[in-house]
Amino acid sequence: MPRRLPLTRRTLLAGATALGLATAFPATAQDGPIKIGLVAALSGQSAKSGEAITRGITLAMDKINAEGGVMGRQLELVSRDDESNPGKGLVAARELVQREGVAALIGGLDTPVSLAIVPFANEAKVPFMGPWAAGTPITMNGAEENYVFRVSAVDEIVDEAITEYLVSKYGAKKPGMILINNPWGESNEKGLMKALEKRGMEHAGIEKFENNDVDVVPQLTRLKENGADGLFLVANVAPSAQVVKSLDKMGWDVPVASHWGPAGGRFTELAGDSGEKVHFIQTFLFDSAEHPLYMKLTEKFPEVESLADVTPATGIGNAYDATLLLAAAIEAAGSTEGPAIREAMYTITGVEGVIKTYDTPFTPENHDALGPNDYIMSQFVKGEIIPIAD
Amino acid sequence: MRLTEARLLDLTIILVAAVALAALGLLNGYMQFVFGLVAVWTILCTGLNVYYGLTGLVSLGQVGFFAAGAYAHAILIQSGVSFWLALPAGAVVAALIGCVLAIPAVRMGGPFLAMVTIAFAFIIEHLAIEWRTLTGGQNGLFGFTQPRLLGHGFTEPNLVSLSIILAAAGLLAYRRLAVSGWGIAMAALRDQEISAGSLGYDPIRTKLAAFAIAAGAAGLAGGLFAQLMQFIAPSNFVLSQSILFLFAVILGGAGTVLGPLVGAAVAVMLPEFLSGLAEYRLLFFGALLVAVLLIAPRGIVGTVAAVLPRRAGDVTPADPADVMAFITPAERQTLTVTDLGITFGGVRAVNGATFEARPGDVTAVIGPNGAGKTTLLNMVSGFYRPGAGRIETAGRDIAGWSMHATARIGIARTYQATRLFGALTAEENVIAGFPRGTFGGIFTALGTPERRSMARGLLALVGYRGEPGARASDLPHVDRRLIEIARALAMRPGVLLLDEPAAGLMQGDKRALADLLRRLADTGIAVVLVEHDMELVMGISDRILALDAGEPIAFDTPAVIRSDARVIAAYLGEGTLSVPGRTLAHEPGAIDRLVTRNLCAGYGAADVLQSVSLNVRQGEMVALLGANGAGKSTFLRTVAGLMAPTSGQIVMDNADIHGLPPYQIVDRGLVLVPEGRQVFPELTVAQNIELGAYRRRTRPDPAELEALLTRFPRLRDRLHHPAGLLSGGEQQMMAVARGLMSQPRLLLLDEPSLGLAPAMIEELYAILAELRDDGITILLVDQMASLALAASDRGYILEQGRIVAEGSAAALLADDALISAYLGGGESRAEAAQ
Amino acid sequence: MTLLVTALVTGLGLGAMYGLIALGFQITYSVCSRVNFAQGSIVMLGAVLGYVLTQRAGLPVIVAYPLALAGCALMGMLVELLLVRPFANRGSEAWLMATVAGGILLDNAVLFTFGNEPRSLPSPLVGQTWQILGTGVYPQQLLIPVVAVGLAVALHVLFRKTRQGRALLAVVQNPEAARLMGINTTAMISGSFALSAVLAGVAGLLIAPLFSVHSDMGTLFGIKAFAVAILGGMTSASGVMLAGFIYGLVEALVTTYLGSSYTYIAVFALLIVVLAAKPNGLFGRAALRKV
Repeated sequence: MPRRLPLTRRTLLAGATALGLATAFPATAQDGPIKIGLVAALSGQSAKSGEAITRGITLAMDKINAEGGVMGRQLELVSRDDESNPGKGLVAARELVQREGVAALIGGLDTPVSLAIVPFANEAKVPFMGPWAAGTPITMNGAEENYVFRVSAVDEIVDEAITEYLVSKYGAKKPGMILINNPWGESNEKGLMKALEKRGMEHAGIEKFENNDVDVVPQLTRLKENGADGLFLVANVAPSAQVVKSLDKMGWDVPVASHWGPAGGRFTELAGDSGEKVHFIQTFLFDSAEHPLYMKLTEKFPEVESLADVTPATGIGNAYDATLLLAAAIEAAGSTEGPAIREAMYTITGVEGVIKTYDTPFTPENHDALGPNDYIMSQFVKGEIIPIAD
Repeated sequence: MRLTEARLLDLTIILVAAVALAALGLLNGYMQFVFGLVAVWTILCTGLNVYYGLTGLVSLGQVGFFAAGAYAHAILIQSGVSFWLALPAGAVVAALIGCVLAIPAVRMGGPFLAMVTIAFAFIIEHLAIEWRTLTGGQNGLFGFTQPRLLGHGFTEPNLVSLSIILAAAGLLAYRRLAVSGWGIAMAALRDQEISAGSLGYDPIRTKLAAFAIAAGAAGLAGGLFAQLMQFIAPSNFVLSQSILFLFAVILGGAGTVLGPLVGAAVAVMLPEFLSGLAEYRLLFFGALLVAVLLIAPRGIVGTVAAVLPRRAGDVTPADPADVMAFITPAERQTLTVTDLGITFGGVRAVNGATFEARPGDVTAVIGPNGAGKTTLLNMVSGFYRPGAGRIETAGRDIAGWSMHATARIGIARTYQATRLFGALTAEENVIAGFPRGTFGGIFTALGTPERRSMARGLLALVGYRGEPGARASDLPHVDRRLIEIARALAMRPGVLLLDEPAAGLMQGDKRALADLLRRLADTGIAVVLVEHDMELVMGISDRILALDAGEPIAFDTPAVIRSDARVIAAYLGEGTLSVPGRTLAHEPGAIDRLVTRNLCAGYGAADVLQSVSLNVRQGEMVALLGANGAGKSTFLRTVAGLMAPTSGQIVMDNADIHGLPPYQIVDRGLVLVPEGRQVFPELTVAQNIELGAYRRRTRPDPAELEALLTRFPRLRDRLHHPAGLLSGGEQQMMAVARGLMSQPRLLLLDEPSLGLAPAMIEELYAILAELRDDGITILLVDQMASLALAASDRGYILEQGRIVAEGSAAALLADDALISAYLGGGESRAEAAQ
Repeated sequence: MTLLVTALVTGLGLGAMYGLIALGFQITYSVCSRVNFAQGSIVMLGAVLGYVLTQRAGLPVIVAYPLALAGCALMGMLVELLLVRPFANRGSEAWLMATVAGGILLDNAVLFTFGNEPRSLPSPLVGQTWQILGTGVYPQQLLIPVVAVGLAVALHVLFRKTRQGRALLAVVQNPEAARLMGINTTAMISGSFALSAVLAGVAGLLIAPLFSVHSDMGTLFGIKAFAVAILGGMTSASGVMLAGFIYGLVEALVTTYLGSSYTYIAVFALLIVVLAAKPNGLFGRAALRKV
């Protein structure tokens, strides 16, 4: 237990319990475990993805701790729910840093949440590792001393990849965009425009829709009437499914290249069989039930019974690798001080992750460990995510 | 200097703020930030407390004002405006938006108002999302330059300190506002919107002020929040946040000074303690909210305060001579009413009422139930807008003025069912009357020592002997009536309208009241009195207006009125009406169908029925008679199970039925045909009648309906018309038929002749006589006393909740006790009977 | 043209569903001047129970859906018993916050038992499309207005033709006289909450196949339906149904022609304007005040 409290504070907050007050002071232990903070959506619609990230981090920490920890100290995960709400995420990040004294933050499922935390992380000089949110400006945030790193897709690169996919595989000449009306959609609108401009292509329109829209037919009808010969889809799993249902209703069979939203849940159950027609990007997949990381997962989490229970595997793989990289940097820095870890990030190399082996993944110019070569186009088949053979 | 409650509160607030400021230095950055959030919440919740706790309005959209303030602040800061300008600007912007929203909202209440606030919050949230150039869209705005003060950077701890100081200032301001004219007007509006108006408080301006204050506080909180978070986005301002704000106010204690502080502390700190259980947080919040509402509806502070002794400073009541001088009108006011009329849905409730109430006179308005007496007062006081006629006083025609406008011109009134401000003390109720609706300074306490002393003087004058610091809602009925008169007098009215001030008063109190009214009139007040107690009316009135069925039938001195044939007829029924007597001499059955023993019942603290014992034998028709307000309807309602008796026994066919719910009493065969018919207006006559058989196990067969229609031939043509379209007489026939449909063992009839034309009354009584002759047991209450007795076998006379005479119908008809019970003069008998 | 037809079909379908849920608000409000603010959560409960009973317990629809609706009815009665009646008995308005809290509790209880993943409730009426004036429509979309209007008419008839229905109308029109007829008003109020919950459950079962089933699917429907009930004036069932269609159509037309970004702003601003002009709603009427 932390030290006893002065009496004044007790009178100050008659309603506060001792528990809350005790945590009012920074933990200053030097030889206890090194705390790593996680800010992610643990409740609500994105909880499935939050769970995947937690699993990935847990597996990586188990591995590191079993091998003796970092600087001889164990790693400990402290999780906070952001409810997909940037304000809550920012407060949670502050709490983790200022009260829990974490050495680094992992987190942000949603781009808006990450964007809200970025200025704080840079100001507080705490490394902030992103295993999911793909918004371009998260890592390219223009800060002089950038503490934000990422092991995940980057919208701009994803957009380039899915544009290339529609053009080369389906010969699309005038694709249309159907994007969720939130910052993630906004970020991809920019990325897709850039990719199309690069090729001198025109688009059939940019249509937005809302998370809880039951019907997207009006937006899609406008794209169809403008002569769209392919669709870019950017949305989370449930709204993506609404797009597929609306396409079905219209009887419009059009190639759909999507960001990784559909991977976040039981897409084909929600969207019906036509969901298999949606091709989307992934950074990591379990190719079979014999995958060593999958074996470990089933061991650690008995509720995992089939590959269908671990979607999205991307979250697990990214979080697993992100944790390994973070641990390597702390080890290399020999310190839990933020600036030292940041410097060490540029020096680590040869870290064996589950996605790939990372050789100098970060440079002062590039804070993204994954690039275009690491993306896999995939689709759902019988409820499982399967890579598409070229 | 005595430590009054007000000073104690001020000291507590200052102390809490000082300790919080001192403690900041000892805390880590995050806890400082949390303290800042608590302060921000306190500011917002204090504003919401004005709106919800003080004024009683529900807002589920407070987050909209919070957002407006935050965005206004953030946008101004980012366009280079100084923090010190942006912060108040945010509050002003939010307050202005509040005023705009108030324009449609002040006219609404309940769920409609709740919906408007929800819609408003949605609009603000989505504007923040869509107006990207201004708000940054979903990504929000971040990075707000640190303010500077006197050349120094204003760091986060400084900002938190500022928030704490502002929160303390807000609490201190609330403490003062709550006892100012504005605060009293708000509380008055919350407790009793109607009587707030009759004290002269303009409800629109009062609500507008509440809206503006709540919105402004939310806006100020929003600006501080933006600066503290260094980041705002639409997701900070979702609807559920509004619910949490309201929750904090309720949890802390709505309408208490410190409630918002406690509520804010719990609402902000609780998630900190539960951070490990993040995903169960909402579950916990929901459960806590329900628990608080069920177990401690007054909130934490309210519950604690309820057990603490009140520490209001004592004052000496003003000297009686000073009180009389105070209430003496500066200018005498005559009230002249000419040809006043109003119709409701085609029914003329009052028609052509003309009278003059002179200063120094007691002018009484009398008439049977439903004559339109209260409607007349409602028009004079501005509660109803008259359809025709003039109301002149102080040189103005005030017909159609609003209540608060008539109050300000010097017309004060009381209500039949008292309308005190329940959460205020007796003294505060009176104090609320003093300013005649002038709000005064926003932080100027209304209850100055002089006013408090005068308020106690007024309470003493009207004969209130209770505790001046007692909550009005906890007081007995009689005291509430007296306080209401004192409150009206506090306005120093030129015209005083009193609606049945003597109802429920004991004999001695009535004499004191009569004396008081006389003295009030003698100061030069024009006293207008609606009253059923004829002894009182005849004793003190200078002139009397008698109404019958909305029509004025006489306006003269008591002596003339007392002997006016039309007045007597209106009260006792037309002597020309006849009812068939029994053809055969009736020997009542040996079995008592209904017996009541020492039955007491009433509303609130005072019993209307005082130990009533009577019996109705099988096959008998019994009349229960007495003046209005004697307790006849209360007796029937208590027997039928609509009211619970306070003591005594009700036996039906040898089984106790008191305390049973009405449906079980109906099962035993006791059916009440209520006063005023009480039809189901949108159901057809046939459906209405069938509902009478609701509790019967067997479905009524067509022959039964046929038999009823033979008895009530008027209903045959109307069988498939909605009951609401029937005439009064037809409705009454239908109501009796509906009662018969249950095959009652005992039929109670409450005022069946009320408001019916003479021919219709005769027809109805012929049918009642038939029922009587067919052996149905009937207990009849009717103000047509002679008619009712002519039809009945026996009768009881009820006066002030007591039975003062009983006997055979013929004997009672011959007794002059009857007339005196209706028109006064029966007091000696009542006392003899005790 | 196609756009307009699409908007009309969408608007009528959603409007009918809002109307159906709003009818639930109207019924309890008529009977006892109170509403269940957890109504949206009961929409969700209907869909979740429908999903669990058909997909997990494997019951046939004909058994599962009535069971799901019975579950909703029970929940409605529980809400009345625990979150409305205690406050009504002491003349407090706190039922408003209590039922809001009830909705939060229900949503979260479902979240932890049902799971946090959106699931899909299959329906034979979703999958094959019908072509109507050049636009594809799932039969389910057309089923909603049919069921909603059918239910509203059926209720209208039942209220007038059955003994209990008339008793309920009697309570609405004159509560005290209803007690004197021997009608158990407490039971009637409880029944009205059950009925209101059943309507919400039907709405949930109808919309689920077009949407997805998850613990917070009902919140927004509940708020919109409340707006509809207010717009309709809370006094007449036909007014509320009509308001539902108006709301649904305005919403769909705004979405189609202005874009979904403006839907909330336009629809709710319109609502405030309408209420400013008609404080008792489009089809409501003010009661006569008495003292």
